[in-house]
Amino acid sequence: MSVETFVTDKAGLQKFYEAVMASRETYAPVEKFGKFDFKRVARVTECDPESPIAKTQSIKPLFFPRSAKVMKFVATSAGTDVSETDEDPLAVKRAILGVKHCDARSLQVLDKVYNWDYIDTDYQKRRENTVIISTRCDRADTHCFCTSLDYDVENLDALDVLIVNGSDGKIYIKARTPKGESFLKETVTGQASPVTDEIASPDLKKQYDAFAGSFRLKMDYKEVNAKLSKIFDTPEFENVSGNCVSCNTCAFVCPTCHCFKISDEKVKDTGVRYKSYDSCNNGYFTLMAGGHNPRPVKYRRWRQRAMHKFVYYKERFGENLCVGCGKCTIACPVNISIFEVVNQVSAAGVQE
Amino acid sequence: MEQLLVPMICKVDKVIQETPDVKTYRLKFRDEGMMEKFTYLPGQFVEFSLLGSGECTFCIASSATRTGYFDCSIKKAGVVTADIHNSLEEGDEVGIRGPFGNWFPLEDLKGKNLLFVGGGIGLAPLRSLIQYCIDNRNDYKDFTILYGARTSADMCYKEEIKEWQDNKTVNVVLTIDKPEETWTSNVGVVPKILEEVVNPVIENTKVITCGPPIMIKYTILSLKKLGFADPDIITTLEMKMQCGLGKCGRCNIGSTYVCKDGPVFTNEQLKSLPDEF
Amino acid sequence: MNYTKEIQDIAAKLFAEGKIDVFVGYRVNGFDDNQVPVLITDPQDVSKLVFTDKSVFNLVNYLKNDHTRRKRVGLVVKGCDSRSLNLMLTESQVKRENLYVVGICCEGVVDEAGQKMQNCTDCMVPDAVVSDELLGTPSGSDTLSGSYKMNADIAMLAEKPLTERAAYFEEVFENCIRCNACRHSCPLCYCAKCCIDQETATLYNGANTTSGAFHALMTWSLHLAGRCVDCRNCEKACPSHLPLHLLHKQNESVIYENFQEHLAGVVTGDRGAFYKYSLKDPDDFIM
Repeated sequence: MSVETFVTDKAGLQKFYEAVMASRETYAPVEKFGKFDFKRVARVTECDPESPIAKTQSIKPLFFPRSAKVMKFVATSAGTDVSETDEDPLAVKRAILGVKHCDARSLQVLDKVYNWDYIDTDYQKRRENTVIISTRCDRADTHCFCTSLDYDVENLDALDVLIVNGSDGKIYIKARTPKGESFLKETVTGQASPVTDEIASPDLKKQYDAFAGSFRLKMDYKEVNAKLSKIFDTPEFENVSGNCVSCNTCAFVCPTCHCFKISDEKVKDTGVRYKSYDSCNNGYFTLMAGGHNPRPVKYRRWRQRAMHKFVYYKERFGENLCVGCGKCTIACPVNISIFEVVNQVSAAGVQE
Repeated sequence: MEQLLVPMICKVDKVIQETPDVKTYRLKFRDEGMMEKFTYLPGQFVEFSLLGSGECTFCIASSATRTGYFDCSIKKAGVVTADIHNSLEEGDEVGIRGPFGNWFPLEDLKGKNLLFVGGGIGLAPLRSLIQYCIDNRNDYKDFTILYGARTSADMCYKEEIKEWQDNKTVNVVLTIDKPEETWTSNVGVVPKILEEVVNPVIENTKVITCGPPIMIKYTILSLKKLGFADPDIITTLEMKMQCGLGKCGRCNIGSTYVCKDGPVFTNEQLKSLPDEF
Repeated sequence: MNYTKEIQDIAAKLFAEGKIDVFVGYRVNGFDDNQVPVLITDPQDVSKLVFTDKSVFNLVNYLKNDHTRRKRVGLVVKGCDSRSLNLMLTESQVKRENLYVVGICCEGVVDEAGQKMQNCTDCMVPDAVVSDELLGTPSGSDTLSGSYKMNADIAMLAEKPLTERAAYFEEVFENCIRCNACRHSCPLCYCAKCCIDQETATLYNGANTTSGAFHALMTWSLHLAGRCVDCRNCEKACPSHLPLHLLHKQNESVIYENFQEHLAGVVTGDRGAFYKYSLKDPDDFIM
């Protein structure tokens, strides 16, 4: 497979973004109250594809909506009827700008759960119809640890188009997948010129090395996987979850958390059934009618969260359910870090 | 996936008040052709929606060998089940998704003595298997049903239990927790009666148990004491579920999805799971 | 403002005398100079405790639900925090005899960027109103007769015509992701079943629609009307940085103006504006 690389400058990149927006429905980080969320945009000036990772929500809602309408229904004494909603045209071709590498990776992780047994066709259609355009971070944030996990950040193939800030103001636009390649054919303008891999590679490598060298957090995920799987009963889970306020926001901002709940909203005789996010840190996540709850206390719920991310999902689907983006830590009102939790717990388990 | 979450419409054919807080709803598909496609085996469950109130998980309490309908027995316990009890009447329509989950290991049970140990509403999933086995009676050897409830009024399927008692090939043992004036059968909790009255043959016997979590726990202890091996003890787990499709993550116990890999487990399988059920 | 030494000493003494099971305070978070709450159960850990103008989170939150249930707790409260504690006491959520309260005469705290928090500029009750021990010099201001410090954002809102205000709130709520972190991090949202919560919701389901968020947050803020102490725990928890104080401060200013200059939680035993009824109550602000 030949993948093409282009080189351009700031102005050329703007032109490229404009061409993307002209060719497809485009989503990009839009700022509000100092926080960026991915929204539909029509102009480059509305958005910031290089938004800081610490202030940007994940792209998960574009594939797994925060609330999806499952169906509409009518329920009267005369009878009941259900019908699918006509919202969210899945066939629309989309592009997303400013996707972080960790976010792009999260889709690969989610693919596993959505494509085993029952296939989530809506998710799949959204995946197929979307081009992921990702700008590589120039440096890591305080809570980033993507390079410590089970994926190759440098050669990530979860993204279709890679944009890298090279040396001397040069900006590289590189296709990573066949989808990205054909997309670039449509959208790259005269302001960007093709460049051979021999010329581009050293510069890309240099940028990556500088990025990879900027991480504060480093860990050996294999060691964490192995140790955690053996220490279900460690009291350390109580210590690490002590100041958690059970606010659940970690799961809502996490790009890989995929638990959901189903709820009805009914006014008079008609209603809508929604599928919306939920969090295992909720006290009532596993509370059954009749009062039985397998995880009645906070540390058990935290244990489920940590173990699901680094043990259970790995056992079942072969991936860590964490991409090292640090979004949970940033959103957490008391800054509990999943990185610290799993490292502290696995370290404590060994001492005993 | 949204399409997979859209239920089919069923009509309530009959409502049977089993106990003060349990009702059995006999359901038929509004689209009659659906019933043929709705193939299920004992142990599987459905997602039952009262549109507007919400969706709940219930096991199918009848066997596909009895054609044309299926039963769900529902105990009034939470918000949705209370709504179901209060508002759902014969002729009303509900949403059904399913069937989901695994089923009792029917092949393994063939040629074996069967011992059913049920408590309270826990008889519902067993009833599906009991009906199935009675309808294929020649495939199985000795057939014992031990059923306990808090009081005689709390016993489900009273009519059907009489049928079982009249069936010469079925041994039925009933018990209630505390003595009652008109009660002539056993008194005592299920594990106690299991050890003292039933005293089952261990050789070539499979035990299928379901009931409140605490009953299952002590029944398994008793069975172990009697000498049953873990693979011969089969139970069905209750776990909070929402999708039934192995997606929503609620029923996770370790890396197991109860809605896909369960709800039927042998005690051997349960032992390998984290203690969170 | 630095009471690190004093608080460490107090906590050590309380543990030594066997008066508490857990001490709730602040520690440095371990990656920058900001602080996070810490629940200390081992007396050896008291050296972790700090208190400076970075000690932002309202620790009264840990008195609700299962965080410290049935334990004797020592905790640190600033002025605003102490008001929420006062309400918890009034509403019979905690027993006073199970608490050892270290009150702070607060000089204001700063956000992560080092800017003084907006609620501290507006603060009318800087000194802890409940305490077993008070640290710092009381500001001396007689809090109840002080003039109301109007929040700048509320003043701005008040100038907008109603339609514009509605549009503005619509825009504000658009980014709500319905995680309910605001409700869970609020010390006064201790209800086991909450009407805006995900699963126990009887009024609103948890669907993430703008109208859903709007109604849920409005209902939530009304439940806190006359009770909110403006500690801004909700805003700290909000992953979308929504200006939730707009709702609460708006309610506060209306209540202050109409109900005998009522401020939540300043007086122990004062059950608050919504619990008292008088025929003379004004009602002209009700739409």
